[in-house]
Amino acid sequence: MENYKISDSKLVSLYKQGSEEAFEQLLKRHKARIYTTIYLIVKDNYVAEDLLQETFVKAINTIKGGRYNEEGKFLPWITRIAHNLSIDYFRKEKRYPTMILEDGSKVFNALEFAEDSVESVQIKNDTHSKLRDLIQELPEAQKEVLIMRHYMEMSFQEIAENTGVSINTALGRMRYALINLRKKMKQYNIAYDQDIYPR
Amino acid sequence: MTKTFTQDDVIRYVYDEISGEDREELKQAIICDSELQDLYKELIAIKRQLDQSMKSPSDKVTESILNYSKSLNLLSNK
Repeated sequence: MENYKISDSKLVSLYKQGSEEAFEQLLKRHKARIYTTIYLIVKDNYVAEDLLQETFVKAINTIKGGRYNEEGKFLPWITRIAHNLSIDYFRKEKRYPTMILEDGSKVFNALEFAEDSVESVQIKNDTHSKLRDLIQELPEAQKEVLIMRHYMEMSFQEIAENTGVSINTALGRMRYALINLRKKMKQYNIAYDQDIYPR
Repeated sequence: MTKTFTQDDVIRYVYDEISGEDREELKQAIICDSELQDLYKELIAIKRQLDQSMKSPSDKVTESILNYSKSLNLLSNK
């Protein structure tokens, strides 16, 4: 277990002074959270990886260019960049729709990277993958609050301000999202266990 | 006087948005009130599942980000 952890703001300071190791730590610490945030919006692995790169390029340029605001927290700041890029992408895609397969990937990805199909089928059966699918099925307003609170680590107050609702509405949406996910996961786990141990 | 807590208070507790005396009182309420306790357990369970279900990007992407950062150092040192 990690007993001592350098804070994000300390790592950013070290990075500004030229420590690439500090940046590597920041990336290692947060890449999964940021990548998941993007993936839940764009629903495509390859697009999510492109946008993750774009997010970090922006962050690197801002920090190295001396434009990073020291008062804010690193994670909400960078996930905000990721969120904005994802929403922009999503809006553009809506104007120019592409064919989406049942698993949420684009036809192009399935054709271009056919060797991943066995793996993706395997992952599809995985509990974690199932949970991500269930998040996609949530009503948009609930999904938005869930992503903002759980993955982007915004406070309920910030979410309320950003989405133009009261804090109670934001809390209510989060409650419904979490309880619904829990119920569905329980149903799924029962079915999953029965598959493993047939009667 | 005993304070009444709602389900939304438990959400805020789970996400560390209640502090000080309120947090301590809510902690006691969760221990004593079976409904709040059940909700708390459910929320902790799904929160854990959400954390475990995070996806990681490929090593190739991670490398490419690190290389981009390093390349800026090389440029500024020239």
